[in-house]
Amino acid sequence: MTWKLETDEIERRRELALSQGGEEAIAKQHSQNRLTIRERIEKLIDPGSLEEVGPAAGTPHYDENGVLTGMDPANFVLGFGKVNGRRIVVGGEDFTLRGGSPSAAGLRKSVYAEELAVQYRLPLVRLHEGSGGSVGGTGGKGPSLPGPVNAPARFRSVAQAMATVPVASAALGAVAGLPAGRLVASHFSVMSKSTAQILTAGPAVVARAMGEQKSKDELGGWKVHTKNGTVDNGAEDEGACIAEIRRFLSYMPDNIYQLAPVIDCDDPVDRCDEHLLEIVPRNRRQAFEMRSVIASVVDRDSFFEMGRGYGRSQITGLARLNGQTVGVWANDGKFLAGSMTADGAHKARRFMELCETFSFPIVSLVDEPGFMIGSQAEREATIRHGASAVLTAALTTVPWISVMIRRSFGVAQAAHYGPDGYVIAWPSAESGPLPVEGGVAVAFRREIEAAPDPDARRRELEEQLAAKQSPFPRAEALGVHDLIDPRQTRPELCRWLDRVQPLLPSLLGPTAFSIRP
Amino acid sequence: MTKVELETGGSVWKMLVQPGDHVAQGDTLFILEVMKMEVPYPAPVAGEVIATHIAEGDAVEEDQLAIEISP
Repeated sequence: MTWKLETDEIERRRELALSQGGEEAIAKQHSQNRLTIRERIEKLIDPGSLEEVGPAAGTPHYDENGVLTGMDPANFVLGFGKVNGRRIVVGGEDFTLRGGSPSAAGLRKSVYAEELAVQYRLPLVRLHEGSGGSVGGTGGKGPSLPGPVNAPARFRSVAQAMATVPVASAALGAVAGLPAGRLVASHFSVMSKSTAQILTAGPAVVARAMGEQKSKDELGGWKVHTKNGTVDNGAEDEGACIAEIRRFLSYMPDNIYQLAPVIDCDDPVDRCDEHLLEIVPRNRRQAFEMRSVIASVVDRDSFFEMGRGYGRSQITGLARLNGQTVGVWANDGKFLAGSMTADGAHKARRFMELCETFSFPIVSLVDEPGFMIGSQAEREATIRHGASAVLTAALTTVPWISVMIRRSFGVAQAAHYGPDGYVIAWPSAESGPLPVEGGVAVAFRREIEAAPDPDARRRELEEQLAAKQSPFPRAEALGVHDLIDPRQTRPELCRWLDRVQPLLPSLLGPTAFSIRP
Repeated sequence: MTKVELETGGSVWKMLVQPGDHVAQGDTLFILEVMKMEVPYPAPVAGEVIATHIAEGDAVEEDQLAIEISP
């Protein structure tokens, strides 16, 4: 007597699990240009590397003789896989079953994803398309029992994952409710412009509660959510989203107890791009292309920008110097003069928290005119969000290098310098309590008004004071570590990164603060 | 029809085109002043300026329609 009967049934159940929501549901998914969750996972991971967790979970159907006739698999696929040879945990809702609204087994698997990632200290990738709970309950047979009072807090593992391992997520179809909350609980999130919407609640619930008639795209399409920071990036389609996640992971360590992998770098560390000598216009009213500066100083093509669509006066992302991951933060003077807005401050704070969590040295390219001003800025509580960024910087323990490229003014500029950071300045650097153009009109109001030609006097004062903001007196007072030729920036950054290597291992492990959405 | 909308608020410092002008892609259409900085807006496409909805000195807002270019 063998166990052949049972092993046959195991095999049969495995096949049933792969059938997902059935041929019709899969065809419907494909007809809307969306992949199934299993196809998504295949696209993400190295071929043949999936090690599935809980494939047998689901709801079986039996005939009157107790013989298995079919099974609805749990509508969340979970497993281990490898990306570029490195193991990760991956999971996502199966939209072909119940529209991704969790089944009982699906919910168990989905909440297990973070726990697995924390336990095995592996990066977590979630590929989302699904909705949250239903008033019909997870079994579809009326409300289920609430969890007992001593059940672990549902979202503790989500928060722990963010403090322990890299978490990347994608919105690939409509994502609402619980999956939407988990989508944004990540270090990097991306949404498909052609297929995804992110909704706290969908159109029907909104119409009932708010009387607002909006389509899914109007409520939560990419135009809304890449601009407001709900997701970091938008990408054209599912394939592009998955490519972004693979790229993001390439910069990351497996967990907070490791340093990020260093890759071979064929870009010379002493490369000096000539155009940096003239990139900052002498006309102080004209902005320059900060992304061009970034491209010239980091390893060729290594800048991975995160959050380009929101908080646009601040540029944040990951890059490499001599093959090693660093965080890069810069101002974009072409957008609101590079000033610190409420959303820019939020983006900067998350960026610093990411670097602190994973022990990434920070490269800060400074052209900060100060907090954004005006009635809209006041309505947005800019000073509170800005101060939050400033205090986050003050609490970081990772090494910083700040390059004073142009303006560095007010309270806001303090966010761009880390404790004990290394500071170098270009000849175009200016710094002070506030830019002279605004400050002169206030501080010298009486003198200007009394002058025979007030405008001329104002300009004269501005020029006098602007000269005092030059970096030379600052360097004389050891107010910067050095003044440099802008063309020498990349070699300076690479030398600095080499010097701070001995500090990095001691930064590993849990940090005093990590990152929250 | 290509619509040029404003990415931020500010004030219109210089208008460099008017209806009827033909522009090449990349030509500067107008310059905003934002936080004391000049922000030039390049033509996203080549074509004829059909309408301008902003004028020098205007205080303008984010997402406001500035210029329409045909085709």
